[in-house]
Amino acid sequence: MSAHLSEMSTISANGAAPLLEVNDLHMHFPIRRGFLRRVVGHVRAVSGISFSILPGETLGLVGESGCGKTTAGRCILRAYEPTSGRILYRQPDGKQVDLAPLSAQELKPYRQQIRMIFQDPYSSLNPRMTVLELISEPMRINKTVAPSEMQDRVALLLRKVGLRPEYMRRYPHAFSGGERQRLGIARALALDPHLVVADEAVSALDVSVRAQILNLLQDLQEEMHLTYLFVSHDLSVIEYLCDRVAVMYVGKIVELATTDALFSQPKHPYTEALISAVPKPNPLLRKRKQRIVLEGEVADPANAPSGCYFHPRCRYAEARCTAETPELRNVGGGHYVACHFAEKLTLRGAESVALDV
Amino acid sequence: MNPSSQELLIDIRGLKTHFPLDEGVVKAVDGVDLSIHRNRTLCVVGESGCGKSITARSILQIVDKPGRIVEGSILYYRQSGMGNVEVIDLAALDPYGAAIRDIRGKEISMVFQEPMTSLSPVHTIGRQITEAIRLHMPLSKREAKAHAIEMLRHVGIPQPELRFDDYPFQLSGGMRQRAMIAMALSCNPSLVIADEPTTAVDVTTQAQILELLARLQAEHGMAVMLITHDLGVVAETADDVAVMYLGQVVEFGTVEQIFFSPKHPYTRALLKSIPTMSRRAQGRLDSIRGMVPDPFNRPQGCPFHTRCEEKIAGVCDRIAPPRITLEDGRDVRCLLYAQDIEMTPVQDAA
Repeated sequence: MSAHLSEMSTISANGAAPLLEVNDLHMHFPIRRGFLRRVVGHVRAVSGISFSILPGETLGLVGESGCGKTTAGRCILRAYEPTSGRILYRQPDGKQVDLAPLSAQELKPYRQQIRMIFQDPYSSLNPRMTVLELISEPMRINKTVAPSEMQDRVALLLRKVGLRPEYMRRYPHAFSGGERQRLGIARALALDPHLVVADEAVSALDVSVRAQILNLLQDLQEEMHLTYLFVSHDLSVIEYLCDRVAVMYVGKIVELATTDALFSQPKHPYTEALISAVPKPNPLLRKRKQRIVLEGEVADPANAPSGCYFHPRCRYAEARCTAETPELRNVGGGHYVACHFAEKLTLRGAESVALDV
Repeated sequence: MNPSSQELLIDIRGLKTHFPLDEGVVKAVDGVDLSIHRNRTLCVVGESGCGKSITARSILQIVDKPGRIVEGSILYYRQSGMGNVEVIDLAALDPYGAAIRDIRGKEISMVFQEPMTSLSPVHTIGRQITEAIRLHMPLSKREAKAHAIEMLRHVGIPQPELRFDDYPFQLSGGMRQRAMIAMALSCNPSLVIADEPTTAVDVTTQAQILELLARLQAEHGMAVMLITHDLGVVAETADDVAVMYLGQVVEFGTVEQIFFSPKHPYTRALLKSIPTMSRRAQGRLDSIRGMVPDPFNRPQGCPFHTRCEEKIAGVCDRIAPPRITLEDGRDVRCLLYAQDIEMTPVQDAA
C-alpha cells in the first residue's frame, strides 16, 4: 500500500503539493447485539481508501448509496473518528498535519479551514434562527469578525452567493430550496475555508436551480481559490463539475482518474456499468446502445464477498477475482484502477450526448 | 404523432384541480390538456410544484383534501369486450363511488415514488398484493396467492414463495419497488401511472426498474404514464412527452419533437440546463434565471414570462397563451407561435 502511495504523491508533486492526502483510511462501525451490547461484527463503511486533492481542484467522489462516500467525507471533516489511517492536511504555511488522531480541542483551527455544504437545504438550517444569525454563527464562535462588522460581512457573503442582503432578518422558511442552498453555501464560506466538502450539494434541487447552484460553485471556486471534495451519486453532475473522479464501491475506491479519462475510457467494470446505467438525454442513443444492467444488489459492507468485492456482479469475473483482492494501482497517466484485468479489458465509455438546442 | 392511427386511452381536456387554502387558492393544475394512447409511454416532465403529480392523481381521483377537480374532463376510453369502446368521464365520478373504485387499481393502477411509505409496514407484501387481486378478480384465497407469487416472479424477485411472507422493511429499495410494480400489474391494467418510480433508488437499480417497465409494457401492451423530473429518463423511455410548468402543459409532442426541435422556450431552457461534458468545455451551464413563482402569486398572462428569454414585452405578460397545434401535430402554449392573436404590444396608456 505504502509503495504506491509515495508514487501517488510524486505525481501530484509535479504541479503543486496536495492540499489533502488521505492514506489508507478505515472507518468501521461496530454492530452491537444482545443485552450486553456485545460487538458481533463491523460495518466496514470505508475500508482502506487513499487519494489526494490538489489545491484548487475539484475531486468527485461517486458511488451508489451505502458505498461509503459520505462516511469518507465526514471522516475528513472529522465528524467521525476514523478507525485507522491518516488524513494529511497541508496548512497554508506548507506544513502537513495528520487530522485523524487529533482531539476536538486540537482540531479547532482546522475546522475553520475545512467546511461542509450539506445535502438537504431544509433540514440543515435551524428554522429558529434568522439568516443573519445563521451565517454569522461560525464567525461569532470562532471570533474571526468583530461584532460591529458582522452585519457588513454577512451582507457581503449574501451578495456573493446571489441573495439580497435585505433578507438578512428573515427566517429560512421564507426561502425556496435553491435559495436555502445558497444560504448553506454562504454559511460554509463564512470562515474563508480552503477545502469545502460538498455532500450531495445539488441532489435535492430541480434541474434549472441545480444549474444555477453549479454555476455559483464554480464562480466561488475561482474567486475564493477553493478546493472541493464533491460527494455525489449523480454521474452527470460529477462529469460536469469535477477535474478528477474517484469511484467507490463497498468502502473501497475502485477507480480514480481524470474526468475525461474516466468517462471516455473507464478501466473498471463497475465504472463501465455505472456510466452505462445513467439515462442519457438523447432519444437517439436508446436504439443504439445496449445498457449494462447489473444483476443483484450492492454487497453488504458488514459481510463483503471474498476477493474483489464486485466479482459477484461483474461480467468479466474469473476464478482469480473470487480469491485475490485487487489493489488500487496505477495503470499509466495517473489512472488508478483496482481490477486484476484492467489492462486486458476494453470497456465502453460514455457516448457523446450533445444535443443542439 | 398521428392520432388517428393510435388508440386513444385517456384524453384530458382543460383539467383544473385547485386547493382552496386559508391563504388563497393554489391552482396546482390549471388547464391541462394531454392524451395517453394504448401501448405507448407518456412521460410528464417538469420541476417540483408544476402539478405533474396532481394531474396523475386527478386521473385516479385520489387528490388529497382540500384539493378537488373544479373544471375539465378526463375521458377514459374503456374497452368493454366485443371491440366496443365506452367513454367515461373520470373527472365527473364521485371520488368515493363504486364506479371509480372499480377502475382504480384494476384498469388504472399506480406505482408511487417511495415504496417504503406507500406500502403498509405492518402487512406482508404478499398480503398487500393479494388484497388488491381479491378486490378486483373473482379468485379464491389460494388462487390469489398463486397469482401474487406469479406476479412477484414476473417482476424479477428471486424466490417469490419466500418473499411473499416478507414485510416491506425486509426488502431492499429496488425489491420494494418491484413488489409495488407487481401489485400495480396484478389485475392486468390498461394504464399504469408511475410517479417518479426511480427517484429514490440508485442508478444501477434505476436501470433495472426502467428495463423491467419496458419489458412488462411489451408483454402486456399497457399504456404507461411516467412522471419524472429527469430528462435522461424521458429520453430513454418516452414515446410522447408532456412538459409541464405551473399547472399547464406547455408543450406536448413525441420524444423526437421535444428533444430535437423543442419549440417552447421553457422546454429549450430545460434541455440546456442538463450538465454534460460538452457543456463543461463551454464554461457555464445555461440556467433558467429566477425561480418558479409562488403558487399564490401566479404571473398574469403566460405563466413562464417572468423567466422567459424570448418574451415579448407588453404581450406575454398580458395574454394567456392558448393551446396551439403546430403543423407537425404537437401542442405548444406560447404566443411566439400564435398567428391570429393581436400581437401589438400595448403601450402604457399613461
